[in-house]
Amino acid sequence: MKRWLLLVGMLAGLSAQASELVTGVRARLENAALLRGEFEQRKTVAGFKKPLVSRGDFVLSRDKGVLWDTRAPFASTLTLTRTSLSAAQGTSAAYHLDTVKEPALAAVNELLFALLAGDVATLSSRFEVQGELVGTAGWKLTLTPTDAGLARVFRSIRLEGDRYVRRVHLEETRGDSSLIQFDHLRQAPPLSDAEARRLAK
Amino acid sequence: MRNRWAILWTLVVLAVGIHQVLFWRSARLDTDVLALLPEDEQAPEVDAATRRLADGAGRELVMLVGAPDWASAQRAADVATRELAADSSLLAPTATDASALEAAVEFYRPYRDRLLTPAQREWLSRATPDELGGTALMKLYQPAGPRLTAWGEDPLGLWPDWWAARAAESAARPRDGRLWLSGEGREWVLLTWRSQVSAFALGADARITARVERARAAVTAEVPEGRLVAAGVPLYAEAAAAQASEEMSTIGLGSLVAVLVLVWLTFRSLRPILLVGVSLAIGCAVALSVTALFFERVHLLTLVFGSSLVGVAEDYGFHYFAARQGRSPDERGAVMRSLLPGMALALLTSVVAYLALGVAPFPGLRQMALFSAAGLLGAFLTVVCWFPSLDTSALPVTSFAARFARTLPRWPRAAPTWRWGLAGAAFAVALGGGLWRLETRDDLRQLQGAPANLIADQRELGRLLGLPSPAQFFLVGGADAEEVLSREVSLKQRLDALVQARVIAGYRAVSDWLPTTAQQREDAVLSARAEEQAVAAVAAATGEAPERARFSRDDLRPGPFFDGPAALAIRQQWLGLLGARSYSVVMLRGLNDPSVLPRLAEVGQGLEGVRWVDKTAEISRLLERYRRIMGGLIAVGYVAVLVTLVIRFRREAWRAWIPSVLGTLVTLAFFGWTGEPLQLFSVLGLVLLLGMGVDYGIFLLEHPGDGSAWLAVALAGVSTLLSFGLLGLSATPALRSFGLTMLLGEVSIWFITPFFRLPPGKDAS
Repeated sequence: MKRWLLLVGMLAGLSAQASELVTGVRARLENAALLRGEFEQRKTVAGFKKPLVSRGDFVLSRDKGVLWDTRAPFASTLTLTRTSLSAAQGTSAAYHLDTVKEPALAAVNELLFALLAGDVATLSSRFEVQGELVGTAGWKLTLTPTDAGLARVFRSIRLEGDRYVRRVHLEETRGDSSLIQFDHLRQAPPLSDAEARRLAK
Repeated sequence: MRNRWAILWTLVVLAVGIHQVLFWRSARLDTDVLALLPEDEQAPEVDAATRRLADGAGRELVMLVGAPDWASAQRAADVATRELAADSSLLAPTATDASALEAAVEFYRPYRDRLLTPAQREWLSRATPDELGGTALMKLYQPAGPRLTAWGEDPLGLWPDWWAARAAESAARPRDGRLWLSGEGREWVLLTWRSQVSAFALGADARITARVERARAAVTAEVPEGRLVAAGVPLYAEAAAAQASEEMSTIGLGSLVAVLVLVWLTFRSLRPILLVGVSLAIGCAVALSVTALFFERVHLLTLVFGSSLVGVAEDYGFHYFAARQGRSPDERGAVMRSLLPGMALALLTSVVAYLALGVAPFPGLRQMALFSAAGLLGAFLTVVCWFPSLDTSALPVTSFAARFARTLPRWPRAAPTWRWGLAGAAFAVALGGGLWRLETRDDLRQLQGAPANLIADQRELGRLLGLPSPAQFFLVGGADAEEVLSREVSLKQRLDALVQARVIAGYRAVSDWLPTTAQQREDAVLSARAEEQAVAAVAAATGEAPERARFSRDDLRPGPFFDGPAALAIRQQWLGLLGARSYSVVMLRGLNDPSVLPRLAEVGQGLEGVRWVDKTAEISRLLERYRRIMGGLIAVGYVAVLVTLVIRFRREAWRAWIPSVLGTLVTLAFFGWTGEPLQLFSVLGLVLLLGMGVDYGIFLLEHPGDGSAWLAVALAGVSTLLSFGLLGLSATPALRSFGLTMLLGEVSIWFITPFFRLPPGKDAS
């Protein structure tokens, strides 16, 4: 669950490394206050022959948090704010974590918001960053965890994009992997009242 | 005849000398306050538990490095670590790294299906197949999760929660490869180090403390608002060793110098100085050797207390030289013979008094008693066996001695006149008033002389980390491991209510890491049923045929568990077999408020095999009980001493006896007027006073009107007074109140004794 936050955070601002590459990527990425889009995730899991495919849409507000709504093959939602993380399926809440009960969540949230703010020091303290700029607008990055806790979960994280992040490839240490592609990325409309309420919880 | 004794004693002294060399080569000195505390004969398992908990922490050093923000906290932790690591022969970091956790995860892996948290148990037993399937699917479709296993080994993702529950036993959480916690306005990094030096070998040079202080300085240099909070037995041990060695030199050297100066003033000759010095050195060596033979380790406080021996053991030498002064060297045998009855009686009363201290079952006290009794005997035998042979030439009376001896006749005598009656009445009123106001205190803290900054750090660390209390816990006993663990479960159910009510923050119990076999089987059945349903739902939704993994067919057993890597965090709470029964300790976290202790004591009531242990309260009760017992013993002792005196002195015996009684009352009244509470250790001082106070009376009765006896009594009084007065400077409250009692008592007895000396008519004998 905590890794979730990290992932979502990465979609948002990506950025950061005190190198030319990082400066270049940051220059190409748009620093949007709000981002909407659709996603398709293909997950390869040991024990399953075919990739598990899910689709849905998401909203990211730099100040308030993230809503990640899976539509297919079944509906479920994930809500992330500065102090909490909750998942729900239909009307029943599957779990809810907050920083009071689970202090480590605060650390992950801090990382996420560091990412959103383009905090170079925080990100490069956890990952070794490699990559290249592609063409006039694109870029590719490979993040290798240097932090032992992260390394226990991820072998590497690959990202591709231009003014937005377009593809995320998560390689888990245990062998499973997920490829997430984004589509229809846009900065409008602003948060609806319903969305704002969900993020205010 | 006398020569034969001298030779015999020489042999003993040689043996003691050899033993001393061996002893100091591998000195095993104890600094642990616990070692002073009494054994609980009725419940040896409580002692075993306390000791196990203390031993487990014997070399640990726990530190928190804090700063206003996480980045500077990490920087501060790095500089602190660099300082601590500078001397690898002294300190080594404790392995709290990923490999230890990994090994524990691997160990538990085959038993994953039977490790459930109470909340999971509750959910699994009521969740519908739809709910189970939905949860499994949702977790499966998450982009990545904190899985510890392949999907089939934990389709509902239960295990991370079980580990999270285990991790919740400590306030520190992993963050950026460190252990982190947030509290009291700062972000903290937890550092744990281990002393590479045995606690018994820690010297007074306080090397570990110095290291920690350098780390502290480095932290504040790096981050001005940074803080380092450190606690650990090695720091206490070093503080105790440093304090003890300082006190030993103040008290020991102080009284030695005083004694030698007195001898010089009185006799103006090198020989008495040398011989008295020799008798003291031999007395101390004998004391130490005998103590080391009877006890496994000599406690530092014994040595501190023992330093006051110097001021008592010189008495015999003084008496000899005071009597011998001005007599021809040929008479020295006769002088010794004439002194022997009085000296032997004085020795006897003192030794009996010292040994009476050992009646209380405090190992520390017994050591001090044995040490002092042996030391006195050693000094006495040296004087009796050696002095006549070594002291061969003339020793003229000095003018100081002559002048002093003449003061005795001028000292007033108590007489049945109206003036004395008035003074006596006033005295009695003052005594009564003081006794009326006398208060008592029986507090464990009187044994603790640790520096205030160490205690403050310890408290802060306890608050921040929510460390379990080592002095209050539940002891759970049963016929076998299974029964112990199942009794823990009943106890935990009651504790959960207190955790809910925020009376305590939580608890640490072995059964959370090693569930009972019955619970394991129940949970295995429960998780198997739920996970089969979940897997079936996922199979239906994905059109695939995933399988649930197989788990161990055997239960997780205590033997392999405690031998394995997973028990690291909990092993010290498992006492295992003690006698015919097994025991474990359930520790409590966040126990900062003493007012909740009665509620915890209540929790344990009515649960079979569960015993609430409040070591602090127990010791206070014990201190109180022995204060009362020793108080009674003093009364009995005074009667016994009176009987002994009557046997020797008949109708005049009261003259030696009444000064001690009055001295004791004066001391108590003084305590009453000044508000100094009466405690076990002051009562013990009074016991000793009983044995030594009568000595003055004995000598004055043995040698009535003899200026030299008066001289010896005066010298003995001044030196005793000095050494116990110096003991009153000790930082250990117990020793201080003991010293204070002795000081006050000795002064008053010494002052009162001449008032009751024999009337002039009987002086002439």
